[in-house]
Amino acid sequence: MTKKQTSKDELPLFIPRSSTSTLINKTGSWRYFRPLYEEKTAPCSAACPAGEDIPRIEMLVSQGLIKKAWETVLDENPFPSICGRVCFHPCEKACNRNELDESIAIHSMERFVSESATSSSEPADLKKISDNGKKVAVAGAGPAGLATAYFLSRLGYQCDVFEAQPEPGGILRWGIPAYRLPEDTLKKEIKRIENIGVHIHCKTMVTEALLQKINQKYNALFIGCGYSRPIKLKIPGAESAHDGLRFLHQIRTGEKVALQGTAAVVGGGNTAIDVARTLARLGLKPIVAYRRRRQDMPAFKPEIETALKEGVKLMELVSPIRIEEDPSSRSKSDSSFIMTLQKMKVSAKEIRGRARVIPDGDKTKTLQVQHIFIAIGAEAQALWHVPSAKNNNQLTLSHSKIIEQKIPVVFGGDLTNETKSVTDAIASGKQAAIALDVYFKKGWDAIEESLLSCRVGTGPALSMTAYLGEERNGRKPHIVLFDEINADYFQSAARVIPPTLSPAQSLRSFSEIEATMSKRAAIKEAERCFNCGICNSCDYCRIFCPDVAVMVEKAERYINLDYCKGCGICVIECPRNAMALEEEKK
Amino acid sequence: MKKVLEGSHAVSEAVRLARVQMISAYPITPQTHIVEAISAFCADGTMNARFLCVESEHSAMAAVIGAASSGVRAFTATSSHGLAYMHELLHWASGARLPIVMADVNRALGPGWNIWLDQTDSLSQRDTGWIQFYCEDGQEVLDTTLQAFRLAESVNLPVMVLLDAFFLSHTYEPVEVPDQEQVDQFLPPLSPRIQLDTANPFAIYQMVAPSAYMEMRYNIQLAMELVTSRFSEIEDEFETIFGRKHGPLEAVQCEDAEIILATAGTTASTCRHVITDLRKKGEKAGLLKLKMFRPYPTDQIRRHLGQAQKVAVIDRNFSFGASGIFAQEIKSALCNKDVRPPVFGYVAGLGGRDVTPQTLEEIYWQTKNNNIPKDESVWIGLNQELVESWSN
Repeated sequence: MTKKQTSKDELPLFIPRSSTSTLINKTGSWRYFRPLYEEKTAPCSAACPAGEDIPRIEMLVSQGLIKKAWETVLDENPFPSICGRVCFHPCEKACNRNELDESIAIHSMERFVSESATSSSEPADLKKISDNGKKVAVAGAGPAGLATAYFLSRLGYQCDVFEAQPEPGGILRWGIPAYRLPEDTLKKEIKRIENIGVHIHCKTMVTEALLQKINQKYNALFIGCGYSRPIKLKIPGAESAHDGLRFLHQIRTGEKVALQGTAAVVGGGNTAIDVARTLARLGLKPIVAYRRRRQDMPAFKPEIETALKEGVKLMELVSPIRIEEDPSSRSKSDSSFIMTLQKMKVSAKEIRGRARVIPDGDKTKTLQVQHIFIAIGAEAQALWHVPSAKNNNQLTLSHSKIIEQKIPVVFGGDLTNETKSVTDAIASGKQAAIALDVYFKKGWDAIEESLLSCRVGTGPALSMTAYLGEERNGRKPHIVLFDEINADYFQSAARVIPPTLSPAQSLRSFSEIEATMSKRAAIKEAERCFNCGICNSCDYCRIFCPDVAVMVEKAERYINLDYCKGCGICVIECPRNAMALEEEKK
Repeated sequence: MKKVLEGSHAVSEAVRLARVQMISAYPITPQTHIVEAISAFCADGTMNARFLCVESEHSAMAAVIGAASSGVRAFTATSSHGLAYMHELLHWASGARLPIVMADVNRALGPGWNIWLDQTDSLSQRDTGWIQFYCEDGQEVLDTTLQAFRLAESVNLPVMVLLDAFFLSHTYEPVEVPDQEQVDQFLPPLSPRIQLDTANPFAIYQMVAPSAYMEMRYNIQLAMELVTSRFSEIEDEFETIFGRKHGPLEAVQCEDAEIILATAGTTASTCRHVITDLRKKGEKAGLLKLKMFRPYPTDQIRRHLGQAQKVAVIDRNFSFGASGIFAQEIKSALCNKDVRPPVFGYVAGLGGRDVTPQTLEEIYWQTKNNNIPKDESVWIGLNQELVESWSN
C-alpha cells in the first residue's frame, strides 16, 4: 500500500481535466435520427382561398415589421384592405388556436396591416418580372378580373381590363354597402393595381366587335363578368317588387332613395342581408323572408348576426306565392302590399348536405309591407360569359375553366366558383394567371401539374410565391394539427377585439361598424398566433440542445451534424412544429 | 460578542463571517431560516455575495457546483427531502473535488409527512464522499461552519454541517459571534485549486476510462484520510484565535467508564446530564459524543470505547432491515479488535419524538441488566398497545 500522507503534504488533485476542447468528441457519430428544419402548412393558410401566408404575416406583425407583413399579404392577395373587411374569413375557423381559447382575429389583422402600411406613402416592394411582350385582355373589372390582371402583370404580362360600368370594382363597387366597404378603401386598392401597369378601360363593354379585336391583338382572354343579372321571382305580382341588387347599386351611385315603413326582403344570401341592413339604415323596418332556416342561409354568419342585432327581422321557412296590392291603401305614397307566403317544412332528405324544404301542406301566411325586395340570386349578363360545354380542349379547375381556342380563354370569378366570395374571386384570378403563364412557358399539358406544385397544403389554394420558387416553395403540404403544437409554450389569452359601433350607433349612418385595430392591439394579437409550421426564431431548439449543436448564422438556423446526437429534443421543444426528425441513412 | 441566536442563524452568521461569495438554495422547513437570513444579508449589502434563487434543491446544488468550479466560496443549505433530491449531485460535488459547504437540518423523510428530527436524511448520504459533522449546540454550529470552509478548502472535499431539526435549528441560545477581523485571520480568501477561466479554456470532469477511474477514487480516499489530522490542526488554530475547540468527537468520563453511551447531536447534551446523575448514584457511566461521521474516526472510537464493558448506542435514525446507523458503524470499528465490548443498539426519538433523561436512563439500565443485547436494535418508547394490536 502507499505510504500514509501526512497533513503537511499537499496531495495532488487527480481529476479529469484536459486542455483539449470537447469539440474533439464528435458525438454526431452516435446519431440514428437527424433533426431538420422543415416548415409546414398552417391550417389558416390552407383554408384561405387566396392562400395567404398567415402565420408569417402574424409573425412579422409581432416583430413590428408591418410593411413586410403587408407585402407578404400582397404577394398572394391584391386586396388586403378589402378582404380584411368583407372576407368571410374561413381562416379563423381553421385556426388551431380555437383548441386553446379563441382563433386569432386574422381578418382584423389583415385590415390593420394594410391600413397601417398604406397610411405611409412608401409603396410596396413587390417582385415583378419584366415585360415578356405578351398581352392579356380581361373582361370585367370586378375582384376576379382585377386579381387576374394584378397577378399576370406581376408575371410580366401587359393587361387591359374592359369594364362596362363607369368605375371599376364590380360587386365591390356596386353590390357591397359602404358600412362594410368604404369607397375610398376600394379606390386605393384599385389604384395600386393600376400603378403596377394594369390599364382599366371603363365604360367599355366587351362587345362582339371588341371580342374580335381581342382575338387578334391579345394573347389570351380572361372572362370574369360575374353574376350581374338578378334572378326574377316568377310569381303573380312580382313586378311590384324591387330588385335587391339594383337597389344596392342605386345606393352606391348616390341616388336619393326616399322610402319608409316596412319592407320584406326575399332571399337568404349576402345580398338579401345587405339590402335589409341598408333599409334599416334608411329608417325602414325590414323583414327577411327565407324559404329555408337560418342555419341554411348562404349569407355569411357574422353578417346575419349583426343584421339581427341591428333590428332586422327574420322569417324562416316561407316561400312567396303571390303579391297583391292592398286594396285598403288609398294613395300611392302610402300604398302597401300583401305578400302571401307558402309555409315550408324541412324534408328528411338532404341535398348535398343542405336541408331540403318542401311545402308544408297548403298552409300559408300573409305579410303586409310597404315595400318588397327580391334578392334570390343573380346570373350571368350574357350567354358568352359562361363557358360552353361544347369545347373539346378545356380544363376545369377549382376556381376557373381554361379553354384552348384561337387564343386561350379563361373563365373565372363567380362564373366558375362554388363559393361566391371576393376571396374566391381572387383565388380564381391567381389560378388563371398561373395557368396562363404555365401555358405560355410549358404548354397546355403542363398546367395541371404546375398548379399542383404550388398548392398551399393539400387544398385548392395556390401560392404565387411558391410558383415563383420563393420562400414558401420548400414548405411541406402537411397541415399542422393542434396536437402537433407544443401547447406548453402558450398561455390562454383573450382575442383582441377592434373597437366596434353599437347597433344603435351603426344604424344612424353608413359609417363602417368595425374600426381598424391600433398597432399595440395588433401586435398583442399577433403574439397570440402559434405561427403553425413556421420558424419564428424563438430559439427554443438552440436553448434546449444538450450538445450546443444548433447554430445560428445570419439569423439562419442549422444543425451542426458533427455533434448532434439526434436526441430529438429540439423537435419536441419546437412550439410550432417547424422541425422534423428523420431516420439517419447510413 | 455574545448574542442570543437561533441555531439556524448561527449558520447564517458563520456564512456571513466566512465571506461566502455565492449562495443558492431552495426553502424547506426547518432549514429556511438559515437562507432567509443569508438572503437578507445579501439584499441589504451586509454580504457581498450572489444569492441565486432556484426551483429545486437539485438545481441549488448544481448551481453551487458551478460557482465552486469557477473558484468562488459557495454555500447551500437544505433538509430531508431536499437533501435526498440533491443525491446525485452530492456524488458529483465530491468527485469534482469542490470545497462546498452545506448545512443540513436533520429532518424525517416522508411519508408520513413529518418535519421533525430524524438523522436518516444525512446518514443515508454517507457514501457520497462528503465530510459530515453532527453538532450539539448553537456555538458548535457557528464554529464548525467556519472550520468547515477551512477544511473543505484544505482537502478539496465538500463538508456537511448537521443540525437537529427544531431542537437545535429553532432553539435560541447565547452564542459567541466572533469579530470579522478575527474570522478573516482564521479564514483567508479562497485560493482555488480548481478554477474555470474563460480566458484560458479547459475541460474538466469529462469521461474517464477504467484505466484511470479507480485511481481517481483512491485519490478521494487519500484526501479523506487527511481530514482527521487537518481538522485537528485547524481546530488548534481556531482555538488559538477564539479560545475554544470541540474536537472530532468528545469522550466524557470515558476513561474509567464501564458503560458508555454513544450518540450524536442534541441527544449528547441530554446524555451529559444523565451520566452526571448516574455518576452521583455510583454508576460508572460515560458518554462518547459522535461528531465527525465522515471520515469515520475509527482509531479514536476504538481508543475511547475499547476499554468499556458495554457500549450503548442511541440512534435517532434507522437503516431498514439492519439497525441504527451509528451502531453499525461502531460495531464495524470494533470488530477487528481482539477484546471488544458488546454493542447494544437502541433506536429512539424518530420523527421528533422526545428523548428525555428518563429514556436515556432506561437505556442505561437495560444495558447494565443484560449481559448481551436482546436484539440487534431495541426500539425504545414504542406504544406497545398499538404494536401488539397488529399481531391480532
